[in-house]
Amino acid sequence: MTAVPRRRRLPVRDRWLAYGLLAPACVAVALLVAWPLWVIVQMSLRPGRALELTKLLSQPLGFANFDRVLAQPSTWAAFGHSLVYTGGTLVPAFALGLGAALLFHRTFPGRRWLRSLLLLPWAVPGVIVSIGFLWMFDASFGVVNSVLRRVGVLSTDVAWFVDADTAMLAVILPTVWKSFPFFAITMLAALQGVPASLYEAARVDGASPLQQFRHVTWPGIRGSAMLAVLLNALWTFREFDIVFASTGGGPAGATETLGILLYREAFGSFRFGTAAALGVLMVATALVVVLLGYRWLREETR
Amino acid sequence: MKPWFRLITALAAALVLGSAPGGAAGQTVLDFPTWQAEEPGVSTWWKSLIAAYEKQYPDVRINLQQIPFNQFVKQMTVRFAAGTPPDIVHLPSRDFASFADQGWLEPLDERLKSTDIPAMWPPLQADMMWNGKTQGVLLMGYGGMLFYNEQRLKDAHVAVPKTPDEWLAAMKATTAADKGLFGLSTITAEHPNMVVEMASWVIGSGADWLKGGRYNFTDPAVVRAVDQWRQSVGYAPKGTNSATARQLFVDGKTAFLRDGPWVWGAVEKASAEMKPSLKITGLPFPVEPGGASNSLHIAAKSDARKKDAAWKFIVMAASPEWQHAYALTGSPAPRKNTLTPADFAAKPYLKVINDEAARAQNLFPTVPAVRAGYNDFATQVTKAGMRMISTQDSTPKVLADLQRDLERELPLK
Repeated sequence: MTAVPRRRRLPVRDRWLAYGLLAPACVAVALLVAWPLWVIVQMSLRPGRALELTKLLSQPLGFANFDRVLAQPSTWAAFGHSLVYTGGTLVPAFALGLGAALLFHRTFPGRRWLRSLLLLPWAVPGVIVSIGFLWMFDASFGVVNSVLRRVGVLSTDVAWFVDADTAMLAVILPTVWKSFPFFAITMLAALQGVPASLYEAARVDGASPLQQFRHVTWPGIRGSAMLAVLLNALWTFREFDIVFASTGGGPAGATETLGILLYREAFGSFRFGTAAALGVLMVATALVVVLLGYRWLREETR
Repeated sequence: MKPWFRLITALAAALVLGSAPGGAAGQTVLDFPTWQAEEPGVSTWWKSLIAAYEKQYPDVRINLQQIPFNQFVKQMTVRFAAGTPPDIVHLPSRDFASFADQGWLEPLDERLKSTDIPAMWPPLQADMMWNGKTQGVLLMGYGGMLFYNEQRLKDAHVAVPKTPDEWLAAMKATTAADKGLFGLSTITAEHPNMVVEMASWVIGSGADWLKGGRYNFTDPAVVRAVDQWRQSVGYAPKGTNSATARQLFVDGKTAFLRDGPWVWGAVEKASAEMKPSLKITGLPFPVEPGGASNSLHIAAKSDARKKDAAWKFIVMAASPEWQHAYALTGSPAPRKNTLTPADFAAKPYLKVINDEAARAQNLFPTVPAVRAGYNDFATQVTKAGMRMISTQDSTPKVLADLQRDLERELPLK
């Protein structure tokens, strides 16, 4: 049996230096993360409609904001919209990203250029993406309706962002366009870590391309892919700018996600306490997802 | 001195100088955000007024900032809530009460005593009173206007409408969606002004969605008026906000536009080919819908020196000279008898605008609970409006749901 080596204790001077070097990071985290979070939790526990922070924080503590948030139908509708929006974005974005990663893993002329271009949608701000898609999908003057009418797919113009039946699809499309490069780049990096010898061995054993993907490629990129899914799910769940800039949560609440509802409560109805309660519930939901995802990831990569 | 020490000293000096308030030493800087800083017509008036003010008071500088209208109230709310309000507060009058209710605005009764504003302003100035104190000066009371494209009406063989039914028929006759031509420019996307569009039809018909201190959305007269608004939207391009609606009209894509008189400034900037066809008249409703448009205020939290400087600015804006200049932009000035017969002769459209303003009935709710919670009210009404635009749900059903939601979210008693 080997003895566990004892951790060497640093001299006092080095310890102070270490703490000193860590201090700016700790202060930054405390100021930029912990303090705002603490204020939001405080606000969520102060019922009432005072808008000024000082007035709001002087009101008595209570759970009325949470009662209101959990009782109002719009919260659950927004939660449902957030789930549809997140799922509706993740599945196609992942599929497109995986397809693009597999394509760009191959060698062909112009690959480097195209790889750079692939990243472009991810770098474009959400508001700009929304404006672009609003123009293209405009009901009366948009290119999409024009093309679909010319080829006979549509007989009348569709108000993509205004019709309650198509609005969710209309906001998912730009989100997918913006999200898929992240999957592509993450999985492309993971693909480059899969040893070429494994493919050679698989080919020698007579594995088909599909079998090679299933038994060599996927086990090699699974960890990275799952991490990318988890991160993207969290980003999409709290996504705000694309939905806000394109539909503002409408029509008639058809695309009102939790982020939009929170904004409306705070700046439309001036109920900062209720908005903070919604924010706390969103953080709690995200935390549960992260904890479950982390556990799952750990088991996957063990 | 070591180079790194010199660099740090220079950086520190730059930081200190950079954080100092703008303007020359001892100069008072008044922060003035508005949604009209770039609006054709009225923006010229603001800039000229500021230049004249700064000339008269060289120790004061006004920092004019443009904020888009659909973000304006939200940004002001954040600034007030954060304790950093602007010094000159310009508000859409419909939102005044929700700011006054928070105690954010300075009572002006004492200051008003030394001016002729109480005597020379219309009864709508009473809207600037909250909790028994006057907290603002009305800058514009208006009547809604009908802008129309004369050539498009001639092409469709229809006359300028005189009734809501004639207007709907004219919209239908001028719509050719397959050619990208529509009968009406109006808001068909989530936008704070959708309430104004709907209210114009309701108040214009002589009905009211708030009656006897109660919500009245299920009244058959209200249902009929809202249903007519819904029909009108069928002749308009979908997904349009107010800026796009105006542009489509100016570009000749739509035959009619219902809007405030201030839009005349944008119409006058139409292309030489289009401009002769674009005309203005009163809305074809039995009752002229209008109301208090916007107003000037002082933030209660400003320091005394800035409050005095901001008040001098308001007094200057309310002076006969500047009210006359304001009225010439096409925005009805609240001061009585501002325009002369010579002005009307030179610019006939000013007569139409002023006549409509004079007979306008307030389309904004006057019930205190709705005034204080106007954003909630507008959000619910807009949601119902969008539901009527984007689904097949019947108008009575949508309005009954709206009444139920408002009674729950914004009770009147």
